[in-house]
Amino acid sequence: MDRRTVLKGLAGAGGLALTGLSAPAIAQGAAARTLRFVPQANLANFDPIWGTQYVVRNAAALVWDTLYGVDAKLQPQRQMVESEETSDDGKIWTFKLRSGLKFHDGEPVLSKDVVASLSRWAARDPMGLMILAIQQELSAVDDRTFKWVLKQPFPKMLYALAKNNSPCAFIMPERIAKTDPFKQISDYVGSGPMKFVKSEWVPGAKSVFEKFADYVPRQEKASWLAGGKQILIDRVEWLVMPDPATAAAALQNGEVDWWENPIADLVPVLKNNKNISVDIGDPLGNVGSFRMNHLFAPFNDVRARRAVLMALSQEDYMRAIVGDDDALWKPLPGFFTPDTPLYSEMGGEILKGKRDLDAAKKLLAESGYSGQPVTCLVAQDQPITKAQGDVTADLLKKLGMNVDFVATDWGTVGSRRAQKTPPGQGGWNMFHTWHAGADCINPAPYTAIRANGDKAWFGWPNSPNTEKEVTAWFDAKNLDEEKAAVGRLNKAALDDVVYAPTGFFLTYTAWRKNVSGITKGPLPFFWGVSKTA
Amino acid sequence: MLSYILRRIVATLPVMAIVALFVFSLLYIAPGDPAVVIAGDQASPEDVERIRQSLGLDRPFLIQFGSWVWRILHGDLGTSIFTNLPVSTMIGQRLGPTLSLMMVTLLLTIVVAVPLGVVSAWKAGSLIDRAIMGFAVFGFSLPVFVVGYMLAYIFALELEWLPVQGYTPLSQGVWPWLENLILPAIALGCVYIALVARITRAAMLEVLQQDYIRTARAKGLGQGGILFVHALKNAAVPIVTVIGIGIALLIGGAVVTESVFAIPGLGRLTIDAILRRDYPVIQGIVLLFSFVYVLVNLMIDVTYTLVDPRIRY
Repeated sequence: MDRRTVLKGLAGAGGLALTGLSAPAIAQGAAARTLRFVPQANLANFDPIWGTQYVVRNAAALVWDTLYGVDAKLQPQRQMVESEETSDDGKIWTFKLRSGLKFHDGEPVLSKDVVASLSRWAARDPMGLMILAIQQELSAVDDRTFKWVLKQPFPKMLYALAKNNSPCAFIMPERIAKTDPFKQISDYVGSGPMKFVKSEWVPGAKSVFEKFADYVPRQEKASWLAGGKQILIDRVEWLVMPDPATAAAALQNGEVDWWENPIADLVPVLKNNKNISVDIGDPLGNVGSFRMNHLFAPFNDVRARRAVLMALSQEDYMRAIVGDDDALWKPLPGFFTPDTPLYSEMGGEILKGKRDLDAAKKLLAESGYSGQPVTCLVAQDQPITKAQGDVTADLLKKLGMNVDFVATDWGTVGSRRAQKTPPGQGGWNMFHTWHAGADCINPAPYTAIRANGDKAWFGWPNSPNTEKEVTAWFDAKNLDEEKAAVGRLNKAALDDVVYAPTGFFLTYTAWRKNVSGITKGPLPFFWGVSKTA
Repeated sequence: MLSYILRRIVATLPVMAIVALFVFSLLYIAPGDPAVVIAGDQASPEDVERIRQSLGLDRPFLIQFGSWVWRILHGDLGTSIFTNLPVSTMIGQRLGPTLSLMMVTLLLTIVVAVPLGVVSAWKAGSLIDRAIMGFAVFGFSLPVFVVGYMLAYIFALELEWLPVQGYTPLSQGVWPWLENLILPAIALGCVYIALVARITRAAMLEVLQQDYIRTARAKGLGQGGILFVHALKNAAVPIVTVIGIGIALLIGGAVVTESVFAIPGLGRLTIDAILRRDYPVIQGIVLLFSFVYVLVNLMIDVTYTLVDPRIRY
């Protein structure tokens, strides 16, 4: 063996590895018909029922269609469905599918596919579970007709089938939809306007979608998940960029066309670039929050929880998250998304006006707090939770509390918050998170507002008054009744401090000016989007 | 020689077994739960538990470990918890970009650092020597991400010579492949160039004091021939050793570099897998890295025989 042999061998092996593992090339002419998009997160899996992360829902909305879709007015509209009928007693729903619907493998969309898809969805969705609890039968009547027979009326049926929060009721072929809802699918044949190109999927880096030529869009104008989903581009590439500075540079350099959620710090740079448009992405925004553990002292006493609420300044939290841009946040003296029909400030006085630290300290002392450590979980790898955690630590110290600040990562918070053991034994007193505004428009998808003790979300609040009003909303027959129920719910949840809302905040989206048709919404909509060279 | 190589390869097996046990144990006791990440923020504890069961994460440690080892012995690295793709497929998808980055960085290092070190030794004590060593200290002190951002700003955003991010496979042309790698390779190579330049200088200084160099000069040999033919070859053993050790530096640096330049390589896959607690992927990657490291050490040992005929195994 000599040097030349070694070098030849290395060059040969290296070349083989580098060329053999390469991805297929795309034709140069396709560049103008290809939209390069930087999503909010990595598409690590692609089963929108099994995994409920928003990035999965966003991609799935391209690939699978729904029976109904919620529009920009938050109203359910027909999508795959042509018509529906309800029996006089409200217990039997009969639906008819539009004709000509096809899956990506060319097979027609039939009632049996819908039945299997709805069964899988219902097993994982909070509203679906409510329907399952009163279901008598879900069956196909013929190829285009199916019916859902219930034991009692469920007035929110169309909203459940149309809602945009995860998991959505996506329609898949029966053979795929029969997969156990707790196991992941591996066949991605869809019913929506674009096909998922599995062969080009590099999880963590790239996902590719191509226009489905046989998709039959509705004739109505597109509005969020409703209306005609006209695809004007041939191909969408999702390019994952873990570093926001890289995404900003790539957008400025024309290497990508659309960045879903630029961070606030980089927005001024993008706004100064004449080739880039920047606007609010999702008008439903986000609700910041921290949750207190209702099972253990000090927050098992409502006075301690109210003391924290009395002292907290939402402005401090919001500025920590979005910076100095006042267009990006609003105070939120309640729990529901501002500027939506059910928004209420009833009972919100505790979060309004000048903060009264002395009164808060007095109330905290009345609760019996005597200096025990307060275990505060703060995920450092999520800028929003980190910013909130820093403000909370300061707030608790001002209140005279002994803060046990646990700086960790989101994966650890995710598992530790499920622990019901005392804080000193692996449990916790507080953790920070946020909720998509789309989840906070009414009580149906709003898991965080539920206060049914052991069955409630982490922190396990027990507030019978809150639960009573959730039920009242489900039973409401019109918008006025719904508003009244949600107003009372807002007050009850604030009185008992189900959780602490830290404010309402928005995020921007940014795109190159040669891209048009981008609309504001709770997820990035690709229908109606076009691009010039 | 062949029997030596075979013995060394066999000796890697217990090392790999210890690494496997260590990694598996570490992940088992580490906080975090992939089922929680999969289920999403709105999931109930019951949903999380069912997902955990379906993934087999509720089984006892020894059963999980045994089943993993059994699969490894059959050449199966398992399936990613999140993507449902075979770990070997995921690693295969990412191997090309990381190999490319490491090869270009390695090449750049050898082409730049070795001549710099040789010149520095030749001109020891001069302004050139101080300038080169000053550059080496600077390169060694700058974090990879700072160099990366600076390079991207100057050469991509301001001058528009090179792309900011991404990776193009070699099959699409040498220049498209290379243009995506130039900035990351410089960023990643800075520390490495500095290290190799300093080691080359030190090794060369020692060799240049030897009698045979004086003899070569007395015979009237040219400076280039003395430095690069006679001296460098004899100084090569420590240089080759450092280049080999530096591969570990490259693996670590690739994690940051691939994130800064959005290169879909193994470094980013490692970070993603750790943050999501995708155990099979983490285990697969760590095994691969360990194997590569052991292999690189073997290659270094073999290379010694090429640069120094006195070394025999």
